[in-house]
Amino acid sequence: MNLEIRLAWRNVWRNPRRTALSVAATVFAIFLVVLSVGMADGVHEKMIEDAVRISSGHVAISGAGYRDNMTLEQFVPWDGRVEAAIEGAEGLRGWAPRITSFALLSLDDRSQGGMIVGVDPVRERSVTRFSEKLAEGRFLGDNWAPGERELVLGRKLAAKLGARLGDEVLLYGVAYSLETAYELFTLVGTLALPDPRMEKGLAIIHLADASDFYVYEGKITEVALLATDANHSDLLLSQVTAALDADFAGTLEVQGYAEMMPELVQFILLDDAGMYVTLVILIVVVGFGILNTILMAILERAHELGVVLALGLRPAKLFRMIYLESLMLAGVGLAIGLSLAVPLLAWLHGIEIPISGDMSKMTEFIGMEPVMTFTLRAANPIISTLTILFVAALAALYPALKASRARPVEALRSL
Amino acid sequence: MTGIWRRQSVCFRAGAILVTWVALSLPPASVADSLELALEPAPADLDAKELAHRSDENMRSDQTFFRGKMTVVSPRLTRPRVIAFHSWEDRPGKKSLIRIDEPAKDKGSGFLKLHPNLWMYVPRVERTVRIPPSMMLQSWMGSDFSNDDLMKESSELDDYDHRVLGIDPASSGNVPVRAYVLEYKPHEDAAVVWGKIIAWLDVESGAPLRQDFYDEDGTLLRVMRFSDYRMIGKRHVPHRWSMIPLEKPGHSTVIEVEEMQFDIEIDDQVFTTRNLKRRE
Repeated sequence: MNLEIRLAWRNVWRNPRRTALSVAATVFAIFLVVLSVGMADGVHEKMIEDAVRISSGHVAISGAGYRDNMTLEQFVPWDGRVEAAIEGAEGLRGWAPRITSFALLSLDDRSQGGMIVGVDPVRERSVTRFSEKLAEGRFLGDNWAPGERELVLGRKLAAKLGARLGDEVLLYGVAYSLETAYELFTLVGTLALPDPRMEKGLAIIHLADASDFYVYEGKITEVALLATDANHSDLLLSQVTAALDADFAGTLEVQGYAEMMPELVQFILLDDAGMYVTLVILIVVVGFGILNTILMAILERAHELGVVLALGLRPAKLFRMIYLESLMLAGVGLAIGLSLAVPLLAWLHGIEIPISGDMSKMTEFIGMEPVMTFTLRAANPIISTLTILFVAALAALYPALKASRARPVEALRSL
Repeated sequence: MTGIWRRQSVCFRAGAILVTWVALSLPPASVADSLELALEPAPADLDAKELAHRSDENMRSDQTFFRGKMTVVSPRLTRPRVIAFHSWEDRPGKKSLIRIDEPAKDKGSGFLKLHPNLWMYVPRVERTVRIPPSMMLQSWMGSDFSNDDLMKESSELDDYDHRVLGIDPASSGNVPVRAYVLEYKPHEDAAVVWGKIIAWLDVESGAPLRQDFYDEDGTLLRVMRFSDYRMIGKRHVPHRWSMIPLEKPGHSTVIEVEEMQFDIEIDDQVFTTRNLKRRE
């Protein structure tokens, strides 16, 4: 065995130029695969993070059926019991109560429908990043004072209303009590958001003001929960569901981001699928490269192989030798490729590279900041390496078989 | 909420992120799809448009005054919410004014239509608010009637094609008397939200009996029934209009007519934003 390994290793380097080319192809493949997967992982993680931090978190609690209609009809009773149930949950980074409904916003001769979101600014910071997205002015003050009625608008909504900081905007809607709800709110800030539809439609007020406006005392429409990261989302979901089950089975609904944003999850799946198809083609090409190299090598060595077979080398041993040679060829390429790709990916991990042009428009369409990010997950290099090794092992079968089945007499006759 | 956003603007197309806020999900699919009608064939020479016109004519004229009250029933309310209001309508001029008399909180609030513009006046904050077209389907004053139902920005005569489906015998139970059943299909370019309306008209008087409103997917969303017919001049005027939204169980709204005057003279000054702010 030992001898086979040594012989195989020597054979690898008998034609250094050919081997180097073949190794280079493998290096290129593993490098590209690891980096592509790293980028896709990074971008997808970023997409999820961006999405949940500008919507309802990884997990949201709402009244059963709320997401079908999004009316005030389905509510979460806000009397401390839900809070108590959330607080103990594992994998929880933050949570925020909200009252979300619809209202007409009006200033002078202009008016526009908008999504009114009542938030507690302090709690909201633990889940979403609205307060960091200021275009103008400031976010809602941390301390709510009755009668101040502060309002923050998506900047396009503010522009459509012609509203400037300090303007009093009328909110008109229907309260939970089915009374008309109308009140003047003072614009204190506008938000620049990655999603243009939110810029056109979002209006944020204090939770307490929303509670007064919609006559919604002791109720909220949802609690947004942020998990420590997307991978803990399912854990958090099951924890919260279990905790709420005792008091609220059937009346409350707990949903994960995948359920609330199926388009996002589908987009990621589709994106991944597209990438994997490309990568598999790349890997197959590399497999053929290895096949070709080894095939050339045995044809070149036909005479020699005939000699060793004639001298009594068992075909099985010869098979192993050639097979090992192929795997070594792939192994060298993988080792070099990984030693380049993994440190590079580790370095890129967490860095956000801004992108521009058409690509940035596309990311905007899906509501993401136009940046490229990379993530190094252990699974990525391991699975990539195993896949390429597997393809190399398949590719090596044919030349190894061919060599071991050669008939010495014929082989000896060839050059 | 969903509907609100969906109707808000067509540009709110599916997107990954907004979905949570907007929840672009469809209305509940549980609502009965379409009711089975066992109809007798109607005479071939019936003019559907003429029938629709005759039906409308029982409740409207060129210049009409209305006074009535609306009663909103909802599981949210311990007792029904009552809204008293009166209105003037100039049909050919496409103008109307509605003034709220009750409840006290909304007294003096007004709605003005000067086609194609709509305004609302909110006295407590002394603001005149333009109502954008996207709001036409929104609840009027918290009721199950929409702004469009009250302001009649779209026309059941001009915005629809009419077709006679047949005659519904009173024995069917859909309506109390023998009725022509008409289908109203909106014109391609009409600013109408309904996929179709099925209307029942009294064979005898031509008065409206019932209207079923369907969305574009053919789902029945709401049913309006007319009753309590009384003669005003030559008109058979239903004095009770009840609206049942099928997607909101337990909700209903009834409008009861207290006074209606047809073919009157209304001063054009009534339909001005200046008058809108006068609170009377």
